[in-house]
Amino acid sequence: MSEFELRIGHLYPDVLNLYGDTGNVICLRQRLERRGIRAEVRGLGMGEVLHPDDFDLLFIGGGQDFEQDVLLQDAARNKREAILRAIDEEKVLLAICGGYQILGNYYKTWDGHELEYIGALDLYTVGKKERMIGNYMFTCDALKEEGTPYHIVGFENHSGMTYLGEKVAPLGHVVKGNGNNGEDGTEGAHYKNVFCSYSHGPMLPKNPRFADLLIAKALERKYGRDVLGEMPPLDDTLEIRAHRYMEKRLGG
Amino acid sequence: MQLRVSMAVTACKAVRRLIRRLGGGATDFPGKVAQKLCPDILGHLAEDVTTIIVTGTNGKTTTSRMIEQILIDNGLSYFSNKSGANLMNGIVAEFCEHAHASGRKTCDYALIECDEAAFKTVSRYVDASYVLVTNVFRDQLDRYGEITHTLDNIRIGLKNSPHAVVCLNADCSLTASLREDIDNKIILYGVNEPIYKERVKEASDAPYCIKCKHEYTYEYITFGHLGKYYCEACGYARPDPDVAVSHVLTSDATHSEIDITVEDKTFRADIELPGGYNIYNGVSAVTMAYAMGLDPGHAVSSLSTFECGFGRMEKFQLGQAETRMILIKNPAGCNQVLNFLANIRERSVFVICLNDNYADGTDISWIWDVDFEMLRRIEDSLAKIYVSGVRADDMAVRLKYAGFPEEKMAVIKDYDALIDAFTSQQDPVFIMPTYTAMMDLRAIVSKKFGYKNFWE
Ligand SMILES: [Zn+2]
Repeated sequence: MSEFELRIGHLYPDVLNLYGDTGNVICLRQRLERRGIRAEVRGLGMGEVLHPDDFDLLFIGGGQDFEQDVLLQDAARNKREAILRAIDEEKVLLAICGGYQILGNYYKTWDGHELEYIGALDLYTVGKKERMIGNYMFTCDALKEEGTPYHIVGFENHSGMTYLGEKVAPLGHVVKGNGNNGEDGTEGAHYKNVFCSYSHGPMLPKNPRFADLLIAKALERKYGRDVLGEMPPLDDTLEIRAHRYMEKRLGG
Repeated sequence: MQLRVSMAVTACKAVRRLIRRLGGGATDFPGKVAQKLCPDILGHLAEDVTTIIVTGTNGKTTTSRMIEQILIDNGLSYFSNKSGANLMNGIVAEFCEHAHASGRKTCDYALIECDEAAFKTVSRYVDASYVLVTNVFRDQLDRYGEITHTLDNIRIGLKNSPHAVVCLNADCSLTASLREDIDNKIILYGVNEPIYKERVKEASDAPYCIKCKHEYTYEYITFGHLGKYYCEACGYARPDPDVAVSHVLTSDATHSEIDITVEDKTFRADIELPGGYNIYNGVSAVTMAYAMGLDPGHAVSSLSTFECGFGRMEKFQLGQAETRMILIKNPAGCNQVLNFLANIRERSVFVICLNDNYADGTDISWIWDVDFEMLRRIEDSLAKIYVSGVRADDMAVRLKYAGFPEEKMAVIKDYDALIDAFTSQQDPVFIMPTYTAMMDLRAIVSKKFGYKNFWE
């Protein structure tokens, strides 16, 4: 074991656990441990108060609409302020699907009912009657500087159409599928070190370069240098094969 | 009208025979033809048949086969949709197959396994006499988005079945809630104590009260979200079952021994199938017998003569290998299969075939909600895992992140090569395919080893 350690906070593992999103946490932990970096994962469920100083990286997944009311009350009371501070302090936060929507300002259901969200990011979501479902693929701008444009492959399943405000950049642009709203070609959101996407399924194991981007940023922020860059790359043969298969199938 | 019914029945039978003669097993097209010729064909044919519908997420097939055994042992004349054709078209074709060209029935009973979503449609034509709802787990969310959507579909189906005696699983908080929306005669069944000493790690599919969204408290859990739940906020709670597994004596890798209590009488039942989920299948079948006014003691003895069906642990001898096939399709079911396999101590070989066609569910993310990590516990006795199917690469990644050693894993996408690889094994082989992967494998195995076609 090296001297390095990342503390991962998994928000609402008890509620937002619908589409294999826990796989993202499994992936982060394994990719750290394979490099000899200690990984401490803690779940923060309903009723638990989030303290941002306890974590280097936060993850929040997607869930069903059914549980959303209960969750919003708890988020406002026990987690909202800490999330705002973590974002401000440039901590790494990955939010998927429902978790992504909740970070925005509000959600308007298709019949006009408005739900206030935590307002951490300048974006909002409008409900649609038909769900946007299927395998999809988008380019990820954050990975572009490292070489050729890089695709993220995943599966989307949402009825909410998300629109970004001026202060937030999209995570990428849709190559195949719907993305944020099926209209403007954007997918996900990127603000400071917050990364949001509709890609559940889960996102990280099949997109190892993106997983490492999150890890690299979290380590860099904590230790003030490019810790990951100093280490040899992992053997990602299987991961890349799974990635390539879907990339090819979706016409990339 | 009469003419159209006759034409539809005759055409459906002919098309079905033709497809089979050409070597196909497709069960969709003949039913389509029949409905084209006579849109209300199902309504006409079902009119004088006493119909039993088995629906719910998990356990439909095994439960239907158990009920079938009970019908046989009671000498009742019936037909049943055997080959897993549980959507509208398959069900229509089955009714046509068992009608005279005139449209008159050939059997008294129809035992119909019905997909949860198809139930909504089928029930518009069929006035079922008995309906059994096994459970509601999350499954195929790519189609429905929400688990409560499945529940809503079943509710519509029940509302379309006003004359049915309805059997519901009391241990499933979602299923049991259906009783409040219908005026039917209801019979509840459940398991009155925990089944496993140690359970797999799994997330509950229904942690929050269906009435008020407060978190449930459990006196015990049998598996998944099934058990004795109650809501401290609104008082919604598991109702007492009418037909209960009052005692679980043993439940291991080969069988379960249980006591089933109906109206103060207790019967000892032996279920020659592994896993706690088969306890539920067994008690639900006895509940159906009870609902039909058959002797429950007699039904319990039918259970012990029951042999396993299509894709549910059937055994084949293939080459050198003793092979068993177990269908996987959603986290709850797959966790139960692994729970059972993790208790096998002898050396064995696993084959996992993951497809993402419509019938499998196009979203394969559920494999990340399955506790494959538990395979590490039997790493020493697990000689090899072969991974195949359209999404084999995703499955391989899942096993890698479950901590399973890569050198014990082989990805073979070509089914011929795959079958050659596992049939040359000395150790027993357990094949876990998703639905369409199972169909593909069966077809190749039938051809290669001369097994009779699965639909016969
Ligand atoms: Zn309640």
